Amino acid sequence: MNRRGIGLYQATKKIPRRAVNVFILLILFALPLFDRNQYHLEVLVSAGIFAILVLGLNVMTGYCGLLNLGYAAFFAAGAYTYAILNVRFGWSFWVSLPACIISAGAFGLAFGSCALRLKGDYLAVVTLGFGEITRIALNNMDSLTGGPNGLTVAHPALWLPHKRLAFGINSLPYYYLTLLAILVTVIIVSRLSSSRFGRAWIAIKEDEVAAACLGIHTGKLKLLAFCIGSALAGFAGWLFAGKQGFVSPESFDFITSIMLTAMLVFGGMGSIPGAIVAALALTIIPEVLRPLQQYRMFFFGTVMIVMMLFRPQGLFGGVRIFEEFRPESERIRQEEDEALGEDLRQ
Amino acid sequence: MSPLETFIQQLINGLVIGMIYALIALGYTMVYGIIQLINFAHGEIFITGAFIGLAVFGALPGALGLGNLWALVLMFALAMAGCGLLGVLIERVAYRPLRKSPRLACLITAIGVSFILQNVLMLIWGPVDKSFPVFFKHSALTFGAFRVTFMQSFIVISSLVMMLVLHFFIRRTMLGKALRAASEDMTAARLMGINVERIISVCFLIGSALGGAGGLMYGMYYNTITFHDGYLAGIKAFTAAVLGGIGNVPGAMLGGVALGMMEGLGAGYLSSEWKNVFAFLILIILLLRWPSGILGKFRHE
Amino acid sequence: MRKKILIVICCLLSALSLGAKQTGVIKIGCVGPITGDQASLGLDQLHALQIAVDEVNAKGEIIPGCRLEVVSLDDQHNPSQAVAMAKRLAADPDVVAVIGHMNSSCSLAAAPIYQNARMAEISPSSSNPEISRKGYDTFFRTCATDDIQAPQAAYFAFKQLKAQKVFVIDDKTTYGKGIADEFKKEILRLGSSVLGHQGIMQGEKDFTPLLTKIKALAPDLIFFGGMYPEGALLLRQARSLGLIAQWLGGDGIYVSAFIDLAKEDAEGVYCTFIGADVSSLASAKNYLETYNSRFGRQHIGPYSAYAYDAANIIIEAIRKAAKKDRQAVLAQVRATKDFPGVVGLTNFDEKGDSTIGFIGVFRVKNSAFEYVGPAKQ
Repeated sequence: MNRRGIGLYQATKKIPRRAVNVFILLILFALPLFDRNQYHLEVLVSAGIFAILVLGLNVMTGYCGLLNLGYAAFFAAGAYTYAILNVRFGWSFWVSLPACIISAGAFGLAFGSCALRLKGDYLAVVTLGFGEITRIALNNMDSLTGGPNGLTVAHPALWLPHKRLAFGINSLPYYYLTLLAILVTVIIVSRLSSSRFGRAWIAIKEDEVAAACLGIHTGKLKLLAFCIGSALAGFAGWLFAGKQGFVSPESFDFITSIMLTAMLVFGGMGSIPGAIVAALALTIIPEVLRPLQQYRMFFFGTVMIVMMLFRPQGLFGGVRIFEEFRPESERIRQEEDEALGEDLRQ
Repeated sequence: MSPLETFIQQLINGLVIGMIYALIALGYTMVYGIIQLINFAHGEIFITGAFIGLAVFGALPGALGLGNLWALVLMFALAMAGCGLLGVLIERVAYRPLRKSPRLACLITAIGVSFILQNVLMLIWGPVDKSFPVFFKHSALTFGAFRVTFMQSFIVISSLVMMLVLHFFIRRTMLGKALRAASEDMTAARLMGINVERIISVCFLIGSALGGAGGLMYGMYYNTITFHDGYLAGIKAFTAAVLGGIGNVPGAMLGGVALGMMEGLGAGYLSSEWKNVFAFLILIILLLRWPSGILGKFRHE
Repeated sequence: MRKKILIVICCLLSALSLGAKQTGVIKIGCVGPITGDQASLGLDQLHALQIAVDEVNAKGEIIPGCRLEVVSLDDQHNPSQAVAMAKRLAADPDVVAVIGHMNSSCSLAAAPIYQNARMAEISPSSSNPEISRKGYDTFFRTCATDDIQAPQAAYFAFKQLKAQKVFVIDDKTTYGKGIADEFKKEILRLGSSVLGHQGIMQGEKDFTPLLTKIKALAPDLIFFGGMYPEGALLLRQARSLGLIAQWLGGDGIYVSAFIDLAKEDAEGVYCTFIGADVSSLASAKNYLETYNSRFGRQHIGPYSAYAYDAANIIIEAIRKAAKKDRQAVLAQVRATKDFPGVVGLTNFDEKGDSTIGFIGVFRVKNSAFEYVGPAKQ
């Protein structure tokens, strides 16, 4: 980080953080007024669902350092829970929400309690295997999941006084629903990250043995991160199934898990704005590259490599460095130094 | 066919595909052993080997008037050389600049490389399955009711030879010693005057060359190759490498054969649509029993 | 930090909305997987449409002041992508009709969007019966549904091939499983015994464990519901294990690429196809020649002929409608009567399914498909 960069950063600091947040939100809420193109909204909704997934994965991988290459399985758990409840038992979209979150969370809890005794890349390959098992099982258990044909589920609807407002295939209501869902997720994840749990997770990620020595119950906290991450995937799955009106195993393959991990790394591990921007970028870039037809993946691959070579820590990965320059932490450090001096004098 | 003969036949089926997995797994494990990187592009390097072989067969032997045996030798030589160089090139461009970056950054460039390679293969050879020349027809050694085709024995024998050569290279030569030293402790190796960057290149060269040979055998065995074949074979081989204990060379061989046989028996006796489920389920169970793979040594992170 | 987010989002959004409106063109959408593991199918469909469109454009403007253009989109055989692509086509006022989607799951997901946009969609390959039973009046298909082809194949296997002990394999896709289930149902009804029914995974290469098991059961016929790459692999591995049962497949293996991949083992394999001998029809011969001269490096796929017919039905409808209007083109597609296509005279029933119910049987002889006769006499 050079001097000018810091200066610029300090300058932007003068604008209150909250004001910028509110401004961005306003723009996002007003966006459909300027652009009513269904395709654009649809791409944004997909990107938004990915953003929720990446935020969930961020809890697991970004905060707690648990590499998960089968995250799509938990996404599928949420989506299929809604699909099955809707098709077999006629549950409505809104009523199914807790069930989707709980089932995906329980799925994560059950799997995590077995798998979390493994570490690093061994954990990664077990999650990969689990993801594949889930996808194949969804494809083979025809009587429950509809097999390769998938399940057609009901789109959500709202009951306003005197009138039933069906969401149908119009992307606009899903746009607002997704925006709301991202907002909720961001609040949950940012509260978590600054909580006791969040700090414990980062401690585990940095050095598990040291964390355990400090009295952190690493096993339970890792399981908690895994469980919360899966529950958020279930939330995204619920939204996806409702928006899509249709679920089939193709949407939950290994490539999806890999792309989610790519988005997380691309945005910068542990960064909330990074997760959202990367989800947007890696969903929109392939769309922009569509005119290249069959050459598309070649350029997409090149973009991924070049971006990583220029910013290996991810788009927003430098946040921790910036934190050091923050006035409030400066003040805290001074206070700490003084307190330490006090102690030494005694 | 008696149940015993069927069982032996199933074991043979599993052994052959397991040998190919093992050859690919070596590439994953060697790279991982030295720089702790999951080289996701390795599956694509593997299938590139088959395509190079196909191109060589199409272009050279006819023009040079060579027989089948020489054509085979030439195909192997060029496929291995081509893939080895490709591996080194990928390491230079996509991994070396990120040596000091967070470990997962390389994962992203690896995925990028794999997209590019897949796309290039599709653009050069087209999206349709390519027919691969037949070398041994269906001629087979028959023992009672079960049969081992020449192609199967060829795959088993030549992979064994390659693995033995690799084992000898790692255990007995200076370069192999340097390789072991670098994978043990890169900083210490550097202090001992070992050119670690060169060792990493050698690792990519050998791993990718073996992968290329595996790809060529894969093409010869199934007689059909497509640009996306590297993906599934790559995941399986990676699984095999972890099963044996990633970073451990004999472990990769064992893991490959074990995986091939497990999924063969599962598919043969239970249900073929759940084939990959058996492979991954047994992997999970084995890893829970041996958390660092069958032959892997426990390593504190 | 926040500013950066703003800038990135704005850049991406503006990039997304690039693309200028054009006048004087009528666009036909083409959606299918053109990257990824099923790229060959999608590109095949695209090539068929391109040939049809170029033939028209070579003769001049289709209706005064308008030329035809192809918009090709990639759905990566993923239903969620399919929905986004359908919305993209629906949002482009120049697009009047669509060829696609290829995969039944994608057609199922995208159909409501075309219905809403009043845009005709003709799929050359989505053969799952379910799609047309949902009551969409914009969905059409030129291929036969699985419940027409498979029972006739079963009839042929029972009556002509005298199959008593049958083993059924499918590739666990909407198409493969659909056709295999229908086949099994019918042949059981006719009185043969089915020794087993197993699925394989598409994209998988090694089927020796399953085939070893089948060999021990010694069936006299194996029916395969799936596409030609897996079909050829299964066949070669079966023969190399010494499994010498007769082999019957659906239209997914009626492609020259199947013979190319299965090599000498393809001899004597039977397959069914909608319509009679394609290469004997003059219109088809012309098409096959054009295809080979333009895209000769690749083999023509199983659904190419259906895609070409679908394209020509849409072009004909545009010509008759004589204006750039989705509703008018849709009405003309619906009114299609005895359209002389490559696979025969095409009509659509009230559900949008092709009414060609004639199923021909072919056998591989001297590395080529030879017409045997109708499946049901």
